[in-house]
Amino acid sequence: MGDPVVSVRGVEKRFGGFTALAGLDLDIRAGEIFALLGPNGAGKTTLISIVAGLLRASAGTVRVLGRDVVTDYRYTRRHLGLVPQEINFDPFFTVEEALRIQAGYFGVRLSEERLEEILGALDLAAKRHVNARALSGGMKRRLLIGKALVHAPEVLFLDEPTAGVDVELRQQLWRYVRTLQGRGTTIVLTTHYLEEAEELADRVGILDRGRLLLVEDKAEVLRRYARKTLRAALATPLAELPAPLRSLGARLEDGGRVLSLDAEPGESFGPALAALAAAGLAVQDVETQRMRLEDVFVTLLRGERP
Amino acid sequence: MIGLGLRTLLAKEVRRFLRVPGQTVLSPIITTTLYFVVFGYSLGSRLREVEGVPYARFIVPGLVTLGVVSNAFLNTASSMFVMKLQGTITDLLVSPLSYGEVLAGFVGAAVIRGLTVGLLMWAVAGVFTGFGVAHPLAAIGLLLLIAVGFSALGFITAVWATSFEQINFFPTFIITPLTFLGGVFYSARMLSPGLRRFTLLNPLFYLVDGVRHAVLGLSDAPPAAAVAIAAGLCAAALGVSYAMLRTGYKLRG
Ligand SMILES: Nc1ncnc2c1ncn2[C@@H]1O[C@H](COP(=O)(O)OP(=O)(O)OP(=O)(O)O)[C@@H](O)[C@H]1O
Ligand SMILES: [Mg+2]
Repeated sequence: MGDPVVSVRGVEKRFGGFTALAGLDLDIRAGEIFALLGPNGAGKTTLISIVAGLLRASAGTVRVLGRDVVTDYRYTRRHLGLVPQEINFDPFFTVEEALRIQAGYFGVRLSEERLEEILGALDLAAKRHVNARALSGGMKRRLLIGKALVHAPEVLFLDEPTAGVDVELRQQLWRYVRTLQGRGTTIVLTTHYLEEAEELADRVGILDRGRLLLVEDKAEVLRRYARKTLRAALATPLAELPAPLRSLGARLEDGGRVLSLDAEPGESFGPALAALAAAGLAVQDVETQRMRLEDVFVTLLRGERP
Repeated sequence: MIGLGLRTLLAKEVRRFLRVPGQTVLSPIITTTLYFVVFGYSLGSRLREVEGVPYARFIVPGLVTLGVVSNAFLNTASSMFVMKLQGTITDLLVSPLSYGEVLAGFVGAAVIRGLTVGLLMWAVAGVFTGFGVAHPLAAIGLLLLIAVGFSALGFITAVWATSFEQINFFPTFIITPLTFLGGVFYSARMLSPGLRRFTLLNPLFYLVDGVRHAVLGLSDAPPAAAVAIAAGLCAAALGVSYAMLRTGYKLRG
C-alpha cells in the first residue's frame, strides 16, 4: 500500500472547554479519494484545517508526505491544496488576478496553458477578467477550487466543494476530480451529498462528535451494512402468503400484487426464490434494491449498528 | 534574494492601497496641507520665528512624521483586519510563505505607503517653505525606522482586534494625541516646566524632535534618543508580530 500520504495521530482539538476532536487516528493512502462524512459539527472542517495548517491541534501530530505539518510547514503546505468550506474572495481582484496571486504565494508562476486548463475545468473562462465580487455564489466556490489547484498539489482537500454548485457543473467537477486522481492526486473530500461520496470515494470515514465511527472501503461498507430488498411482481394478486414464505419474513404489498422481502447484508435471496418457485406462484418481474450510502450513514449514526 | 512568494504578497499589498489612491494617499496629503496652510502659513505669518526658523517651516517635520506614522499603521492594520473579516487570510495561512515573509510583505507595503505619503507631504510643504534638508540620510533613515515600527504595531493591532472600533482606537486615542502633544506645533522650550516635564515622557516627542533635527538641524532633545526609541519600537513590534505568526495567536484558532 505504501506509506500514507497523510497520517493523523492522536489529534485532539479543544476550543476553550469544548472538545471538537477527541483523539483521532487516520491514514490517507496515496492516490485515493477519501470521503470524510459526518453531521454538522462533527469536526470535519476542524480536522481538515489542522492538516492544512489553518488550525493548530491541541494534541497529537499530523504528517503529510512524512513531514510534520507544524515544524515542516513550508514543505507540507507546498504539497497541499485546500478548498475551504467558507467562501472568501478579495473584491480588489479579478478571477485571473486571484489565481495568479495565489500561485505566487506558492512560488509558482502560472503558465497561460495551466491558467486556461484551470479556468476551463471550472467553467470560468468567460469570467477570467471579471472581478470576484461580480461572480455568482457557485462561481465563487469554483474560483476557490481553482485557487487550491494553482500549485498542482499532491494532496487536495475539498471541504464541501459542490455546495451551491448546479447539477451539471457538479458532474463536471466530479469528472475533473477523477481526472486529478488519474494524474496521481490524493483527494480528501467532505460532503453532505451522500451520492457524491458514493459516486467518487474509494474509502469513507464517518466522523461524529469528534470521533471516527468507521473508516472503510466504500464497497465494503455497502456490502457489510447495506440491507437489500427483493420485490417480486405477481401475475395474480394474492390474498394470503403461503406459510414458508411468511416464515422467511416476506410481506405482501400493493393489494397483494407485490411480494417483498428484506435480506440482511451478506444474506442470500436463494431460499426465498426457492420457496417462491415451490409455492408455484407466477412471477412477472423481479427487482432487488440495495440501501444507498445515505441510508447506511443514517443507520450507523443512529447507533443501530456497531 | 526575495522569493516570488514575498514579491507577490508585497505587490498585492501595494496594489491594494494604490487602487484607492484617494483614500490612501491623497486624503492624508490634503489633510496635512490644510494643517499647514491654516497653522503654518496664515497663522504662522503672524507668529514669530521659533528657534530662528520661520514657524511655517518649523511645523513641517512634525506633520510629515504624523503622516508617516498614521499611514504606516493604518495600512497594515486595515489590510490585515479586512483579510480576517473577508476570510481571505486563509489564502495566506495555507501558503508556504514563511512567517518572516508574511511579516515582510505587510510591513514592506505599509512602509512604502507611509514614506510615499511623507515624501509627498514634504514636497507640498517645500513649495511654500523651501526644500532644504539639513541631514537627508538621517531623515530618511529615521523615518524608515518609524514607518517599520508603526506598521508592525498596526499588524499586531489587526491580528488582535475583533472589531473596527479596536483598530481605530490606537490612531485616534493614542497616536494622534501623542503626536500633537509631542511638539508638532511648538518647541518644548516654549513650555512651562510642568508641561515640559510631561512632554518629555511622551515617546512621540522624541521622534518628532529627531525628524526635526534631521530636516531643520535643530532639536530639543539629543537626536540619539529618537533613533533609540524608533529602533526599540521596531525591535519590539517586529518581535511581537513574529511571535504572533509563529504561535498562530488568534490566526490559527
Ligand atoms: N473557532 C471555533 N471556536 C469554537 N468552536 C468551534 C470553532 N470552530 C469549530 N468549532 C466547533 O467545533 C465543532 C466542529 O466544527 P466543524 O466546523 O469541524 O464541523 P463540521 O463537521 O465541519 O460541520 P459542518 O458539516 O457543519 O461543516 C462544532 O461544534 C463547532 O461549533
Ligand atoms: Mg465543515
